[in-house]
Amino acid sequence: MTNALRIQDLTVEYKTRRGVARAVDRVQLSLEENRTLGLAGESGCGKSTLGRAIMRLVPHPGQVAGGNIYINIDDDIPCKKGDIPKGEVDITGLNEEQMRVLRGKEIAYIFQDPMTSLNPMLTIGNHFIQMIQAHNPEIEKEEALDRGKEVLEGLGILPERVTDYPHQFSGGMRQRVMIGLGMVLRPRLLISDEPTTSLDVIVEAQILEQMAELKKTFNLTMILITHNLGVLAQTADDIAIMYCGRIVELASTENLFEAPQHPYAQALLLSVPDVTKPNKKLVWIPGAPPDLVDPIPGCMFNPRCPMAMDICKTQVPPLIESETGGLVACHLYGGK
Amino acid sequence: MDKTKLVSGIFFQLTPKKEAFEGRSGKWWFALLILVGLALAFIAGLILVAVGSNSGMGLQVVTGTFIIGFLVLGGRAGSRYVVEQGVVTKKRAFAWFIGFCLITTIAVSVASFVFLPASAFDLWFVLVTGGFTLGVMVIVLYDFYPVLRERGNPGLAVTAGILLVLSIVYMTFIAYWIVPHDPFTLDVGRPLAPPSSSLPFGTTSLGQDLFSRTIAGGAIMLQVAVVSVIVCFFIGVPAGLGAAYRGGMVDRVVSLLMDSIFAFPGLVLAIAIAAMLGPGIINMAISIAVVYVPSYYRVIRSQVLSIKELPYVEAAVVMGARDWEILFRYVLPNALPSAVVILSINFADAILTAAGLTFVGLGFPIDVADWGYDLTAGWGVLVIGKWWLMTFPGIMIVLLALGFTLAGEGLSEILTPKLRE
Amino acid sequence: MALIEAKNIKMYFPVQRGFIDSLFKGETTFVRAIDDVSLQIEKGETLGLAGESGSGKTTMGRLCVRLLKPTEGQIIYDGEDIGKIKGKELRLLRRRLQFTFQDPTSSLNPRLSVGNAIADALKFQRLGTPAERKEKAEEVLEKVGLSPASSFYDRLPHQLSGGQKQRVVFGRAIIMEPEFVVTDEPVAMVDVSIKAQLLELMLDLKKDLDLTYLFISHDLATARHVCDRIAIMYLGRVIELGDRNQVYENPLHPYTVGLIGAIPVPDPKARRSEAIPPGEIPSPINPPSGCRFHPRCPKCMEKCKTEDPEFREVDTGHSVACHLF
Repeated sequence: MTNALRIQDLTVEYKTRRGVARAVDRVQLSLEENRTLGLAGESGCGKSTLGRAIMRLVPHPGQVAGGNIYINIDDDIPCKKGDIPKGEVDITGLNEEQMRVLRGKEIAYIFQDPMTSLNPMLTIGNHFIQMIQAHNPEIEKEEALDRGKEVLEGLGILPERVTDYPHQFSGGMRQRVMIGLGMVLRPRLLISDEPTTSLDVIVEAQILEQMAELKKTFNLTMILITHNLGVLAQTADDIAIMYCGRIVELASTENLFEAPQHPYAQALLLSVPDVTKPNKKLVWIPGAPPDLVDPIPGCMFNPRCPMAMDICKTQVPPLIESETGGLVACHLYGGK
Repeated sequence: MDKTKLVSGIFFQLTPKKEAFEGRSGKWWFALLILVGLALAFIAGLILVAVGSNSGMGLQVVTGTFIIGFLVLGGRAGSRYVVEQGVVTKKRAFAWFIGFCLITTIAVSVASFVFLPASAFDLWFVLVTGGFTLGVMVIVLYDFYPVLRERGNPGLAVTAGILLVLSIVYMTFIAYWIVPHDPFTLDVGRPLAPPSSSLPFGTTSLGQDLFSRTIAGGAIMLQVAVVSVIVCFFIGVPAGLGAAYRGGMVDRVVSLLMDSIFAFPGLVLAIAIAAMLGPGIINMAISIAVVYVPSYYRVIRSQVLSIKELPYVEAAVVMGARDWEILFRYVLPNALPSAVVILSINFADAILTAAGLTFVGLGFPIDVADWGYDLTAGWGVLVIGKWWLMTFPGIMIVLLALGFTLAGEGLSEILTPKLRE
Repeated sequence: MALIEAKNIKMYFPVQRGFIDSLFKGETTFVRAIDDVSLQIEKGETLGLAGESGSGKTTMGRLCVRLLKPTEGQIIYDGEDIGKIKGKELRLLRRRLQFTFQDPTSSLNPRLSVGNAIADALKFQRLGTPAERKEKAEEVLEKVGLSPASSFYDRLPHQLSGGQKQRVVFGRAIIMEPEFVVTDEPVAMVDVSIKAQLLELMLDLKKDLDLTYLFISHDLATARHVCDRIAIMYLGRVIELGDRNQVYENPLHPYTVGLIGAIPVPDPKARRSEAIPPGEIPSPINPPSGCRFHPRCPKCMEKCKTEDPEFREVDTGHSVACHLF
């Protein structure tokens, strides 16, 4: 299996007035083709920043402070400012024009907010035409529109609605359009950032199901960023749990829910209410995450960790292979 | 805090942490230089002028105001010291400070009456106002500057703007005691004499000393600006608050009125009203106020409209708050910052409009020293090459407007909520 | 006897129109946020009100604390129709009915210290001297878990975390020792790791102060952990009401079945139920005829398209509005 994505030592920093906040801290990650990786964690853990860094769209004042992001490309991609060779490409070294060519075509990103991500002055069809023609100017309008209709149909939107404007759609419909726009160029890697968070459960379930269908037909590799572990349990193949900019555990979905290794992952799973288990005693994690501008030494989770040892307060635990075949960053493991 | 720190604190906090200056850009240093340099140069210039004053008491007046200014600063530093020592609460210390200022005022007044000759009785007013202006300036440096500096460049702009404005205010207060010639005396030199070493800014067409007139000419403009802005604020803010909170028909009618005022070109409207009311500080202020009321109204109205939909207002309703309690405790404090920003920017507009009014002849008669008047007179003689008559008062107007604009724009950047980091 | 009883409540909001538009068109259209709902809340229970956005659940909650006046129908609290109360009496009523908002950040005045935010409730009611109010507010801060109270009293809301702000909101609601509290999505905006802590606080407060809750939530998984009874709303109607075990384990209405089936379960082995209803909740301006759910219902019959099903009890304490039962 080839890796669709490989991230090495990626660090993203935000320069704030109070100091530098490290939102993503030396993240290592590789993602096999055709798999769905779930990125989970609480607000402020850096999961969205990581997703945006892969698109090279970290919002100001953030910037990639180090590390490499490699993606795999099948064919040479022509570009005005230097063609992109096939094979593994480090996108941190590409220029803006090369990035523009890659965005949408090789990597696509679905934003969280469907209300503001569509241009209210353009019909849905025009969105698709613009999207397609920006990358393949040779494609005719009619054909572009047909491709758009095809994707929309897969997402449960009637093809004749392409002449409608965004405000004529409900929130769930708009999110579907966003997903369709992300998928229409058949990118290899699709990053979706909380695609269903603002939606109701029924619509959420419908969309997740349709996304899974499309992923199969389009052979997509997907990163699903969400705080909702329930959603990940139903859709992801692997799950990475992030805490304070670091990946603390990465495991296959079954293993993570069966036997979480990291104390944070364990506590997080116990805190999720489950509608099928009314007698589950919900737990919580005492305290709050540390300030990223003023990080603490050692493992970031140590002040809240029930199993903290002395070493946790001084040394950052490396990400090592766990007993269940995943990766975990905790001093409890690794025979130290 | 020990005593040495207290002393150094008085001297403009000369012991800030090293990192405050590390990694600053060249632009920042340049701005700092201008900020401190401008105010210091201004004050130094005034002292120089005071040495050769016409009244013969210029230096004494300046010294007196400086003493009062530093007394005020000392009082402020002392009250902060006792708070930091934990002796009294912040509120109590502030009350002490106010009391201290009052006592200083009374002491200066009494001393003036006792020691000064009858002809110089009004000196106490100059001493007190000038002294307190100076006091406020040093307090700005001492108290606000470290706070504002944290806010980056906008903070610097606000401090610079406030200092510039206060310097001009100070100059205006003490003007009559430090000018080298009486601004009204005719034939100090040859009429329309160009700048020379004895008359640095030249003379007017009546032979008055333009330098003295430039120093003394700010009084009218400042008064007009202050009065008009206050009038604007106290009409525009309540109107916006009431209309937006009430809504419905009241809102529609008031908005229509304000929008129709807004539709007029500002200066033309001011001229029309000023022509109707006749000359005078209050009349000029009113005609300017009418022009600018809609900008307060609009800002406050839109703020209140969005604030009154917020859950915390509803939460107050659930707690059983009365309408006025909601307005003054929950709505107004959150809407006011934007009005304050408008206010500080508005000062600059008011000054320029006041200058415009005098320029078209709706200002003051010859017996008042006023930049606007000299500007008008200068315009008439500009064509025959007498450039100085227009230039120097013009520069003062620009400086004053610049000060207010700097303060206003900086303030708006600080107070406008940005994305939290 | 029920503590609070809603009788045939209707709440219609006129659709906002432009000034000129309103001059020319005579008829106003209405959003039917609540259309004929009757509910009873017993003293001491926690009634959950669940449904999708647009179902009218928040409007219902606001009606119960008299933040809104119903267009039609009555809300009887302690034998009195609260829609008719005005002025001073209304202010006194506010002591007994409280409401907490979904977003703790926007429900606290950013320029008011949290201590004052809590003490304000007493101030508006003219209870006690300033010193007494402060003392009482500190007591409440401790009670909601913000201790030591003196270190929190003077803090501004932006200096607190989301969970702490929500605690302040609870504190503000309970300082007057109310009898009935409507909580609108109290844990929707906080991180999952502290959700359980807040829910526990809610239940502790309920025990201490003998409260009755109306718990509004779109998150049925959370609602199952807190509520005694659950009412499911759809498009301005209550379509199913019952004991929590009845509703979750034996849902009757096809919509309830779909809603519960759609909840993502944090267990990869759990099978998602197939019966996710298609489409989305229609506009409450023009609700469908007959049963409002019929265009999406998998078990739709001819009767459903024309006849509005009656809301009736099919089992002890378990009512449903569906022609199937």
